[in-house]
Amino acid sequence: MKILIIDDEEDTRSIASMSLGLLGGADVVEAASGAEGLRKAAEELPDVIILDLMMPEMDGTQTLTNLRKNPLTQNIPVIFLTVKGMFSEFDNLRHLGALAVLTKPFDPTMLTTQITNILEANSQSLKKEGA
Amino acid sequence: MQLNLRLSHKGIILVAVPLIFEVVFLAALTFLLRQAEIEVQRQVRSKAIISQANTLSKLFYDAGVAMGGYSITKSPLFSDRYDKIVHQIPQDLEELKSLVGDNSRQQQILQNLQVITVTGLKILGEAKSAIDDNRVDVAQFRARHMYKEIRSLADRLQDELRGLTEDERKIESESPEVQNRNRMLVKSILVVGVLLNIAIAIALALYFSRGITRRLNVLTDNSIRLARAEPLNPPLDGQDEIAHLDGVFHSMADALNEATRKERAVIENSADVICSIDMDGKFVAVSPACKAIWGFRPDELMGRRFIELVIPEDHQETIRAVRAVRAEKGNTEFENRTRRKDGTIVTILWSTYWSETERSMFCVAHDITERKLAEEATKASEARIRKIIENMLVGLLICTKDGYIESVNPASEKMFGYRADNLVGRHLLCLFRDSTLFSDENQADLNSFMEDLFSKAFNRIGEFDALKRGGEDFPIQISLSEFENSEGTRYLANIMDVSERREVERLKKEFVSTVSHELRTPLTSIRGSLTLLSVGALGVLPEQAKKVVTIAERNTIRLITLINDILDIEKLESGKLDMVMENINMTSVLDRSSESVRAFAEQNGINLEIIPSAVNVYADGDRLVQVLVNLVSNAVKFSPKGATVTVAVQEVQNWVEVKVIDRGRGIPEKFKNSLFQRFQQVEASDAKKKGGTGLGLAICKGIIEAHGGNIGVDSEEGKGSIFWFRIPPASSRVQHPVPVPVR
Repeated sequence: MKILIIDDEEDTRSIASMSLGLLGGADVVEAASGAEGLRKAAEELPDVIILDLMMPEMDGTQTLTNLRKNPLTQNIPVIFLTVKGMFSEFDNLRHLGALAVLTKPFDPTMLTTQITNILEANSQSLKKEGA
Repeated sequence: MQLNLRLSHKGIILVAVPLIFEVVFLAALTFLLRQAEIEVQRQVRSKAIISQANTLSKLFYDAGVAMGGYSITKSPLFSDRYDKIVHQIPQDLEELKSLVGDNSRQQQILQNLQVITVTGLKILGEAKSAIDDNRVDVAQFRARHMYKEIRSLADRLQDELRGLTEDERKIESESPEVQNRNRMLVKSILVVGVLLNIAIAIALALYFSRGITRRLNVLTDNSIRLARAEPLNPPLDGQDEIAHLDGVFHSMADALNEATRKERAVIENSADVICSIDMDGKFVAVSPACKAIWGFRPDELMGRRFIELVIPEDHQETIRAVRAVRAEKGNTEFENRTRRKDGTIVTILWSTYWSETERSMFCVAHDITERKLAEEATKASEARIRKIIENMLVGLLICTKDGYIESVNPASEKMFGYRADNLVGRHLLCLFRDSTLFSDENQADLNSFMEDLFSKAFNRIGEFDALKRGGEDFPIQISLSEFENSEGTRYLANIMDVSERREVERLKKEFVSTVSHELRTPLTSIRGSLTLLSVGALGVLPEQAKKVVTIAERNTIRLITLINDILDIEKLESGKLDMVMENINMTSVLDRSSESVRAFAEQNGINLEIIPSAVNVYADGDRLVQVLVNLVSNAVKFSPKGATVTVAVQEVQNWVEVKVIDRGRGIPEKFKNSLFQRFQQVEASDAKKKGGTGLGLAICKGIIEAHGGNIGVDSEEGKGSIFWFRIPPASSRVQHPVPVPVR
């Protein structure tokens, strides 16, 4: 599973990367900004994008909107990973097309499982819709 | 003999008895006079009969004489004379008949007379016819014969007439005697009648004198006795009006006595002094209450000037008041201070009445010292309250039911930048930002504003945007309450300028946001790093190093939990806990919760038993998981190794009830109520031993109440606890529940 992590915080990015790569066995690609994330998403076409919400210049919301505009990336599942504790914001993010919102600090041992569960639940619901 | 007659009956007797007597007397007299008159009439008639009889006898003779003369002389003088007599006789006979009337004997005589006269006149007629025919012989024969017959007839006539007049003469001779007897009788009756009249008058006078006058005298005497307050005469006998009047008089006297006795009792027992004061200002009567009020006995005050009781400072005012009482000539009141015998001062309210006829002032002196003290205390209290209101930092405003301002305190003046006199009379609307949208001259606008104000701020605290005089708006909290005063319903508005609080809230929010981001971001890295190290993701650590890293990781997690809890509590307190309410199935909630705590349970050697349930609830799934994880974690922490913690869901009436059952040490009764408050744990050492912030249950309570549900615990010390919460099922989906701040 290829995962793109877009986060301006290098430390967080590294921990997430190690959690998913070392513990979860995923193929992790990192991006330090929204713009870089857009570019890498189009290049790498990951299975899922882990996106930070509060970033300078292009924040998570804008990045998600732009991802949805690009036909190459518009169908890649996006999961937000944020410290912002406002659940109403989560609702907005879901409306924008985010699959789920995970909060920081996260449990590195559980991160891969959480993401896998979310993706599985999503694919099941898609199957139901398709059926 | 005493007759029980009414006064009206006596009056009737007084009139009727003499009247009846007079009538009888008059009837007797009338009868006697009538008898006398009849007697006189009979006498007159007898005389007339005798006279008429004599006339008739004479006429008969005259007829014979005339016929004799005519037979001798044939002179027409005799003839005429004879004709005239013949014509006269029947008339006289008829007259005699009418005089006799219905006397049968005399009627018989008259019939005989008629036969005789008819026979005689016939003979004389025949003689006259013979003379007229010149049959002298016949005439002579006739004359001779006739003479005998006439003679005989004349004798018979004389006899009959005598028979007739005899009775009358007898009557005539008896009449004076009868009349004399009648006269005597009348005279006797008159005398007896007058005497009887006098006797009846005297008897009645005596009777009335005894029956009425004497009794009236008793009544008069009773009046005098009543006036002198002496005992009355015994009640009068009988059932007449006087006896009745006397009875009423006795009743009245009894009532008067009772009233007097009561009045005296009132005066004697009155707590107020009842007294009268003469023209010179001296006491002429004082009730015993003066002992209690002034310490003087009544006899000590009698004759003393009442002004002596009044303290010198009040003399002038009292004299003026007394003059006013005399001028008013009615009921007047005044107050003054008087000195008791022991020197203490009592304030008296004098209720007075000036009687011009008695030239006295009647007074009721009421001790109002206590009342005065109470009034002064009330005034002082009012002044104190006024002072408090004037110095309050909260704005107070009183308005009418329609919203027109009646009074404001200085805090309100300062808050809105108006002077009180600029506000009084204006509508409340002028103090609100709504006044820029609505007109206080439009009744519909005013009504709409008042409805909004009442719906948000009546008996509760409502937040509004207010307007200062200069047009600057600012936030206020306002609460309206209703009260009644003498003019009707009024509203009291408590107003607080919450500009500063809003600013503090804004700063707090910013701070929370900063803490949330700036603290969590580094903690994410620290926790992640430590976990990666501890699980050997970066290679196997030496045992000592692994131990230290594990300690650092555990404490980092504890710090993260504390920060999360504090943020949640802050959100609950400010009512800003975000909730995403939807119909969810409890299966996912149970699974997610189980997933979160299973590892922790296993670490603690606890068997986790989750009884599956597919009940749907209307809730925020993440928040329900948060609550359930908290409750199960607690149960795990406080259960002995090897025990089972059970999670069960069931529908109870209109609720979905979730139970977390442990077999731990249980919760003492005294902690059950405080357990859901912040920083409360059964034992102070629990926080250290078991970890936790003491905020978990408070957050659970806040979250469950925000769902419109409730949370609690059933526990028996030593046997375990059942923590439960109830939330609405999906079928009873309602509006988003109002978040309830946790206290």
